[in-house]
Amino acid sequence: MKKIFNHNSRIEQAFASFHCNRLSMLCLWVLVILYGLAIFADFICPYSYKDEDRDFSYCPPTAVEFWDHGRWERPFVHGRALTFNSVHRRVYVIDLSRKYPLHFLKGGRLFTVDAPGRFYLWGADARGRDLFSRVWYGARISLSIGLLGVAISFILGLLIGGIAGYYGGWVDRVLMRLCEMFMMIPGFYLMLALRAAVPENFNSVQVYVSVVVILSLIGWASLARIIRGMALSLRERDFVLVAKSLGVPDIVIILKHILPQTVSYSMATLMLTVSSYILAEAGLSVVGLGIQDPVPSWGNLLSDAMGIVPVIFAPWILLPGLFIFIAVMCFNVIGDTLRDALDPMFRD
Amino acid sequence: MPRNKVQLLFVLCSLCICSAVQGAYAATSRFGGSLVLATSSDPKTFNDIVSTDVNSATVTSLIFEGLTTADPFTLKVIPNLAKSWDVSPDGLQWTFHLREDVRWSDGVSFGADDVVFTFNGLIYNPDIPSSSKDVLTVDGKPLKVEKIDEHTVCFTLPVKFAPFLRAMGQTILPQHCLFQAVKQKKFSFTWGIDTPPEQIVGTGPFMLSEYHPGERLIFKRNPRYWKRSPQGEALPYLDQVIYLIIPDAQAQLLKFIDGELDAASVSGSEYPLLKPLEEQKNFHIHEAGANYDSNFVTFNQNVSINPKTRRPFVDPVKLSWFANLKFRRAIAHAIDKRKIIEILNNGFGQPQNGPMSPSSGFFYDPDVTVYDYNLEKARMILQQAGFKYRRGHETLEDPSGHPVEFNLYTANANTAGREQMAAIIRSDLGAIGMKVNLVPVEFNTLVNKLMSSFDWDMVMIGLSGGVEPHFGQNVWKSSGGLHLWAPRQDKPATAWEARMDEIYDLGAQELDENKRKVLYDEFQRIVADQLPVIYTVLNIDMYAVRNKFGNLKPTVNGGAFHNIEEIYIKR
Repeated sequence: MKKIFNHNSRIEQAFASFHCNRLSMLCLWVLVILYGLAIFADFICPYSYKDEDRDFSYCPPTAVEFWDHGRWERPFVHGRALTFNSVHRRVYVIDLSRKYPLHFLKGGRLFTVDAPGRFYLWGADARGRDLFSRVWYGARISLSIGLLGVAISFILGLLIGGIAGYYGGWVDRVLMRLCEMFMMIPGFYLMLALRAAVPENFNSVQVYVSVVVILSLIGWASLARIIRGMALSLRERDFVLVAKSLGVPDIVIILKHILPQTVSYSMATLMLTVSSYILAEAGLSVVGLGIQDPVPSWGNLLSDAMGIVPVIFAPWILLPGLFIFIAVMCFNVIGDTLRDALDPMFRD
Repeated sequence: MPRNKVQLLFVLCSLCICSAVQGAYAATSRFGGSLVLATSSDPKTFNDIVSTDVNSATVTSLIFEGLTTADPFTLKVIPNLAKSWDVSPDGLQWTFHLREDVRWSDGVSFGADDVVFTFNGLIYNPDIPSSSKDVLTVDGKPLKVEKIDEHTVCFTLPVKFAPFLRAMGQTILPQHCLFQAVKQKKFSFTWGIDTPPEQIVGTGPFMLSEYHPGERLIFKRNPRYWKRSPQGEALPYLDQVIYLIIPDAQAQLLKFIDGELDAASVSGSEYPLLKPLEEQKNFHIHEAGANYDSNFVTFNQNVSINPKTRRPFVDPVKLSWFANLKFRRAIAHAIDKRKIIEILNNGFGQPQNGPMSPSSGFFYDPDVTVYDYNLEKARMILQQAGFKYRRGHETLEDPSGHPVEFNLYTANANTAGREQMAAIIRSDLGAIGMKVNLVPVEFNTLVNKLMSSFDWDMVMIGLSGGVEPHFGQNVWKSSGGLHLWAPRQDKPATAWEARMDEIYDLGAQELDENKRKVLYDEFQRIVADQLPVIYTVLNIDMYAVRNKFGNLKPTVNGGAFHNIEEIYIKR
């Protein structure tokens, strides 16, 4: 009884213990930075995600230089020219005579160089698009798809789980069998099947929305089952019985009295699910069924690195994979810490 | 201890003897050894009459042969199972004199009966879905095939048919093995992949010895093969040809580098990876030349009405763009072929302008209209045609104010980098104000769209060509099923399509090669002028082959091992 009534203080307590965990605070900050970079991609990136210059196919990362003819100068980059060597490998010859100073805060961008100079902080892709810019524009898709997908499946899971647990009986049985049907099919194949049902001539926004919906349709079932279990025990509690006898409508009881009790559990699950959604989007995009070029996502950026040849000659195109790894790790660490902090058994 | 010593001595002795024997053998003989190659998927069947896929054909080409074949260097038709032929003055009667020394791999002698059986019993048999029936039907009628004597066959044509000799490359199958199956109407299922290897009988240099599905195919030397080397030795030299089944091209390449395969095909982008390894891994990359596999975009110009929805297959607004020659010309000017070659193939490739590949030799016409990459010109052509720009060059509107937006479909398998090519074209067209949505779909879905549902706007796909222009009639005649932009027309929709139909009819019946060339040159110019399909680039075929084979003469026509019976292992 006591535990339920000091519910708020418990969450406060949990956050306090979360605060003390250095690793998860670090992860939190990393995520804040990633999301910040994604949100301000327009400002931070020197180029738009579709800005291509075919003379710079697989151009390696450009060095920023400060030192020219024996004296300090404002940062600049040298011009580069593409040639093919005797074995037809791309070689970028640095042209010392051409210098392009870095401009800061020019034209609404944090840093740029004047055309025809190009500045590739993390190298270029096959068509000479800046990987740095594409990673941060891609982060918008990859990081938001996880959150949006989780939000939808969270709502579905809570509602369906709450209703099933609260009403019990045949409602429970029907809904839980439905859940099992979704859980029965291996996730990735269900995702492919749902993707195949989406009309193929969707534009990029429609594809984005459909990917979000597909992801959330896959994830809600496991959450719903657990919420249902919790609701099943909560509905026998005195405060629910009191509310019932006062004639409070069922839906209000579910939303106001039952679901808030499950918050602690669902918060942690939420965090852990976000990471699996980020991975799922990447998987879908890597096999070419997710977000379509030219719009970048970390998944479809990584699909460029599917061959031996690009990985050997342009290893920087693996970078999006690193960011998928970082984001997924962060969400997992935070989720774990939150779960431990919120778990009364663990704390006691 | 003494016993061990004796053993050791024995082993040493036998080693010496072995190497001595081998040395003596090597000095005189080219025979023996095996060649290990890779194929990307299992054959679907060993039945060469019903097979339609490339992988089955690769495999069966070792087992079966035709009456004629094409010289891989001059591309001319040369004798194979037939040693010579005569033609009547009117060009309708062809008499083939078969080689007398040919035996099937089971020992039965090859003769006129097999040829007659292959044509009358198999290809023209209405119960058998034969893949070459179309090519061998002239003017709507089959050829009349008669046996004159044991080693002479006479073909009678309904009308003159210029590509006839080339069509006689059709593989011949043994009557004595297949007669029963045809009689029981089981032929279509005979010689499937579950057949015991020894039952598959051919005249070719090799015969199937083992097949492990998903793993490997092993062919062994056919000791009864008829061909002799200039020194009079019985060919082939190799004991075995092994095909490993490796679906992934990358995996094939790695296995080649590791030494598990003797040869691999190399794309332009892989060249810089392999070329520096030549010395160390003991192989050489042979550059054979531009291949026959075209890559192009085409627009749906189908005017018919969908019988199910009672609405046109193509939105009339879009159709008005696609049917507009200026629209297509503007697009031809907007495609940056040079950069496609550079980006996808590290500079290995050729821009393609007309419907035939330079490797086709005699019939290739280099003087067709060339559309240079010029965005200004493309925009100007569009504006002349009444299209208007809004917001600078950002968006293009048609004369009646509809923004130009359509879907570009391509296969998601990324064959020959086609998906990337489509992505480049998409952004090229963006530069002249067209909003193009790139839609990669399954290859089968794409084929279904082109062949039956017709719900597409623009497609990036490719077709493989060859030496003989007539064999493209399915594409270029307005009644053809592969006449992609408007298939199976009852009568040609435009004057130039009518002229192409005429050229194809005339070309088939003209026996003078030079007069044929004039006709087919005209066809190539029409295609380049009218742009029903807009060609992009041709890739260069390259084969990396281990430096241990003698008589290796790779050509783009036959690949690295077209003369497989003459290839031997250098010792």
